[in-house]
Amino acid sequence: MAINVGYFVKESLTSFRRNWVMSLGAVITIYLSLLLVGVSVGGSMIAGQIVKSVEQKVSIRIFLKDGAAPEDVSKLQADLQADPRVKTVKYTSKEEAFEEFKKSYSSSPEMVEQLSVNPFPASLDVETKKPQDVPALAESIKGNQTFLKVCDRPDDPARSIRYGKEWVNRLFSFTRILRLVGVLFIIMLAVISLIFINNTIRLAIYARRKEIGIMRLVGASNWFIRMPFLLEGLLQSLVGALLALASLATFQIVAMPRIQEAVPFLPLSLPSGASLQIALVLIIGGAIIGLTGSAFALRRYLKV
Amino acid sequence: MISMRNVSKTYVADKPALSDVNVEIGQGEFVFLVGHSGSGKSTFIKLLLREILPTTGQIIVAGQDLVRMKSWKVPYLRRNIGCVFQDFKLLPNKTAYENVAFALEVIGRSKHVIRTQVPEVLRLVGLEDKMHSYPDELSGGEQQRVSIARAFVNRPPLLLADEPTGNLDPATSLGIMSLLSRINKTGTTVLVATHDREMVDSLRRRVIALENGRIIRDQDRGVYGDGD
Repeated sequence: MAINVGYFVKESLTSFRRNWVMSLGAVITIYLSLLLVGVSVGGSMIAGQIVKSVEQKVSIRIFLKDGAAPEDVSKLQADLQADPRVKTVKYTSKEEAFEEFKKSYSSSPEMVEQLSVNPFPASLDVETKKPQDVPALAESIKGNQTFLKVCDRPDDPARSIRYGKEWVNRLFSFTRILRLVGVLFIIMLAVISLIFINNTIRLAIYARRKEIGIMRLVGASNWFIRMPFLLEGLLQSLVGALLALASLATFQIVAMPRIQEAVPFLPLSLPSGASLQIALVLIIGGAIIGLTGSAFALRRYLKV
Repeated sequence: MISMRNVSKTYVADKPALSDVNVEIGQGEFVFLVGHSGSGKSTFIKLLLREILPTTGQIIVAGQDLVRMKSWKVPYLRRNIGCVFQDFKLLPNKTAYENVAFALEVIGRSKHVIRTQVPEVLRLVGLEDKMHSYPDELSGGEQQRVSIARAFVNRPPLLLADEPTGNLDPATSLGIMSLLSRINKTGTTVLVATHDREMVDSLRRRVIALENGRIIRDQDRGVYGDGD
C-alpha cells in the first residue's frame, strides 16, 4: 500500500499540473460557489441576528383602566407571570407613561403643554420567551377574567391589548421566506459546482483514456483507476474552499467594521462560533462536492 | 482453460454476433481463431475478457464463471489474461521498459518485482538493447514485441492476441508468431484471432473458424480454409 499512496498522490498532482487550465477553471468555480455559499450562510446568520433582535422587541402591551383595583392588577400580573411562555411582566403607571411621552416629545414642548390632564392609561408590558408565542398568548389573555375586570375598555376588551398582530405575522413570514431562499440558493450553487467538477474530471479522463484503457486491460482494480481522479477532484475543491475562506476572512476583518460604522443601529455581528461553523461548512461541503462530482464523472465515463 | 457452452451474443435483434458457440480449449493449447471481419472474432475475444456479457450461455475462463462473476472481480480475472492487439496499445510518452513496468505498477507489484521481471521479459522478446527507447523510435514489429512483453510479464496462464500481425509485414509477422509459439511452450495457453492465411497454414495448429457468428470448423493441425 505504501507504494500506492505515493503513486496516487503523484498521479493526481501530475494531472493537476498537466491540465492546469481546466483544473484552474474548476478551482475558480468552486471558489466562487463556496464564496457565495459562505456569504449566504454568513449573511443569513447576520440577518438571523437582526431578525432575532427585532423579534425580541415584539411584546404585548395591556392597557389598564384608570382606577383599576391594585390587587386585581397584581393578580393579573401574577397570572401572566405563571404562564410558562412569559419571560417578564413590567408595570407602567399612568404617571410613568406620561413621563415617557414627555421625554420622547421633549423637542416639541408645546404639544406636551397642551395636555392639561394625563390621557395615558397605565399598562402591563409582557415579554415572551419566544416571539412566536406572542399572538397565541395575546388571545389567551383576552379570555382572562381579571383582565376583563381591569382592562381599559371593558366594552371592547380586544382593543385594550396591543401587540402589532399584522406586523408580527408579516415579519415571521418574511424571515421564513428569507431562510428558504437562502437554502435554495445554496443548493443551486452546490449543483453548479458539481457540474463543473464533473466536467473537469471528465476531461481529465478523456485526456488519459489510453492509459485508462491499458490499466483496465492489465487488470488494475477499479479503485486503483478511480483514486487519482477522486483525489484530483478533492484537491481542486479543497483549494477552492481555502481560497473562499481566505476571502471571507479578509472581508470580515477589513470590510465589516466599516459597514457596521455606516449602519450602527443594526447588530451586524456573527453569533459566537459562527466563523468556525462557516469554515467547517465550506471545507466539508467542498470535499463532498469534489468527491461526488468526480464520482459521477467516473461512473459515467469510466464504466469500470 | 476456456469453456464456452451454447454461447450467443446479440447486439441488435435478429442479427446475432455469435450464436450457439461451443468451444473447449485446454491448458497449454495454441489455437487460431479465423474468420472474416464481422464473423464474430472480436465478440469472441471481448466475451473472454468479460468486456461484454453473453446474451445466453455459459463461459468459464481459468476456472471462473464469467457470467456470474461480480464486476469488481473482473480486474482480477484480467490479471490472468495477457492481451495483445493489432494497434499495440503502447503509451507514447513511456519507454519500452516503462510501458512494461506500468502493467505491473498498476496491479500493485513492488518495485523489487518490477526491477527484476521487466528486464527479464524484455530479454525474452529480444528487446534488451532497446529497453529505453520510446515507441516512436521502434519499428512495428518491435512495438508489438513490447506489447507482448507487457502481456506476458505477469506470467498469465492465458494469452489472447487479436490480429497481432495485422499491421506487420510477413517477415516480421513470422517473428511475432514464433515468439507466441515460444510463449506457448512455457505452458501458457495462446489464442490468436487472425485472418493471416499464410501464418495459419504454415504453423499447422488447431484452427477454429467462425462465419456469421457460428463455428463452421474446428480442427487440429488445421489450415485457414478452402472457400476463399
